[in-house]
Amino acid sequence: MSGATRFHAGIDVETVERIAEERNEPKWLRAKRLEALEALPDLDYPDVIQTPGRTWTNLDDLDFEALVEPFDQTEEKDWVADDQATVVPFHEALNDADLEELVREHFGSVVDPEENRLTALSTALFTTGTVIYVPSNVDAEDVKIRTTMNGQSLFNYTLVVTEQNSSVTILERQDTGADADESEERYYSGIVEVDAGENSYVQYGSLQDFDQSTYNYTLKRGVTDTYSTVNWIEGNLGSRLTKTEVSTLLEGDSSETKIVGAFFGHDDQHFDLDSKVWHRAEHTTADLVTRGVIDDVARSVYEGVQDVGEGAWDTNSYQRENTLMLSDESEADASPKLIINNHDTEASHSATVGQIDQEDLFYMEGRAIPEGTAKNMLVEGFFVPVLEEVEVDELREDLEERIHERLH
Amino acid sequence: MATIELKNVHAEVAEGDEQILHGVDLEVESGEIHALMGPNGSGKSTTSKVIAGHPAYQVTEGEILLHLEADDFDGIEEIPEDARTWDLLDLEPNERAALGVFLAFQYPAEIEGVTMTNFLRTALNAKIEERDELLFGEDEEDEAGEDEAGYDTSPMEGNVDDGEVGVAEFQQLLKEKMELLDMDEKFAQRYLNAGFSGGEKKQNEVLQAAILEPTIAVLDEIDSGLDIDRLQDVADGINALRDEQGTGVLQITHYQRILDYVEPDTVHIMLDGEIVKEGGPELAAELEDKGYDWVREQVYNAA
Repeated sequence: MSGATRFHAGIDVETVERIAEERNEPKWLRAKRLEALEALPDLDYPDVIQTPGRTWTNLDDLDFEALVEPFDQTEEKDWVADDQATVVPFHEALNDADLEELVREHFGSVVDPEENRLTALSTALFTTGTVIYVPSNVDAEDVKIRTTMNGQSLFNYTLVVTEQNSSVTILERQDTGADADESEERYYSGIVEVDAGENSYVQYGSLQDFDQSTYNYTLKRGVTDTYSTVNWIEGNLGSRLTKTEVSTLLEGDSSETKIVGAFFGHDDQHFDLDSKVWHRAEHTTADLVTRGVIDDVARSVYEGVQDVGEGAWDTNSYQRENTLMLSDESEADASPKLIINNHDTEASHSATVGQIDQEDLFYMEGRAIPEGTAKNMLVEGFFVPVLEEVEVDELREDLEERIHERLH
Repeated sequence: MATIELKNVHAEVAEGDEQILHGVDLEVESGEIHALMGPNGSGKSTTSKVIAGHPAYQVTEGEILLHLEADDFDGIEEIPEDARTWDLLDLEPNERAALGVFLAFQYPAEIEGVTMTNFLRTALNAKIEERDELLFGEDEEDEAGEDEAGYDTSPMEGNVDDGEVGVAEFQQLLKEKMELLDMDEKFAQRYLNAGFSGGEKKQNEVLQAAILEPTIAVLDEIDSGLDIDRLQDVADGINALRDEQGTGVLQITHYQRILDYVEPDTVHIMLDGEIVKEGGPELAAELEDKGYDWVREQVYNAA
């Protein structure tokens, strides 16, 4: 990283101390923040997807730090909790002795704060977040978090911990407040850590619908114990630029993950989306399915990685990605990667990028359906296989509705 | 009584200059069944595609006319006089379909995520709306801005706003037509042709014709790849189109077999992009016996 990058005034020890002080944070957290801050200048930006001859997303040019206003992190957050699970704002959790210990144990254990420059920045500056704790044998349904961003920057942290034999369904929505200044550029950064205990089940759905002045960086990662399942639904509709990673580390024997993605970019939106799974135990299963549509001059690039480790006997790992381009000016690429270090693996991966099939269109027009209507039906139909994977009705309906709105 | 009339139709592949049709003359009237036969590559499928308006083919010469009579459409008392003759080549594919020109595809598209029910009800309502627009001009109050984005669809339920034909009414209609064709009810909720067998797809084409009640139906090899039971169902469906809806049928086929169940009034034989021989049903039988070389010899020796 070039030493010439200058930080926005205010991203310094004093700022971090002040954030921690104002929130009366415990020493260990303050120390983590300061470590991240100190490491930051030497860390690289997250890896971006490169295809032969092209680097799709130039994070270096973006000067994320310039967008950051540490003391203008205004937001509204709504939580809908299940009464059996604990769902509390991050700083409230720190006031509870048991929860504080839980947070201390898990904070930064799934996503290393110093993984890259943007995770370090997020760790140093985050002011909001949620802790979700599901005790043993509890089935928590419909935990909902809505984050509405009003200020110029927002750093958000979410921790999910499930104990043995528990389950939880979480729906997270992010959008921009009606009062936010449209002409102003914004930066959102979110880190989500999921630690799924033995034989527990987590579905984490997210719908990102920021306005088109927002630069969005999110990293969501789960780690599984024996027989546990972490399923992700990743919906991306908003933002000017999005760089995301959704990933699962399959560390427990017989654990599973599914990463389902849907995105729809238009105007000059830019999506750089990673899905990753690491098979690091025996009898693990992963299924990665993403479908996206891009229109106008939007760009999308997808990378899916299935990494099967040496000890990952009896692995099943599948990946499919399809992108549909609605305009000649839109650009898309997809690269599915399979790394296999254990021969006892059943795996497949495929990716397609294409336009609406002219024969499909003609067939529908031949049944009196006007071209515009036919195209819309084809696009909505294209998303159905991923929408069918969404267990939370509300998330599926929201996605359907937003896709519909974007088409009409 | 509707008539479709192909007059000296020349057509070529739109990208490239390969000419496929060299002056096709053909006329099919309501209530008649015509068979169009010919060897592979003779231009039969291309004929069907230019009638429907496939963008991959360009008509370079000739006309395709649709003549309607005043009472040709159920529910429309009188078609205005100035809207009784149409040059199909001036119309978009969906407009041709709205006037009752139906093409059963040799290879129907598989469309994921769109249920049969949603697709067919959207099609039926689009047909009614577009037809009224073509016949009577745009009704400005209703139609403002509705051209492209008028149908509020959702992948599972179809039009949210009721069109001319509402959900309940349509489901009843679909159920009746499916029974007629001996199709399983579960097809209604399946995605359009997705994962259908070859035979199921062909049956589905006939079902779509039964729902859309065409004035003229062009059936492109509807009989290929069908077992005998399904062939019979399909044949019943075609006969019902003619008998109950007065549809004029142009049936493109390789095989004489289906003509045992759907007796044609006229048989046309196509060679090298032209109709070279016409006759009654006996011509199909003769062709089955003697083969296309016999036709070729007759035609080219006579010429």
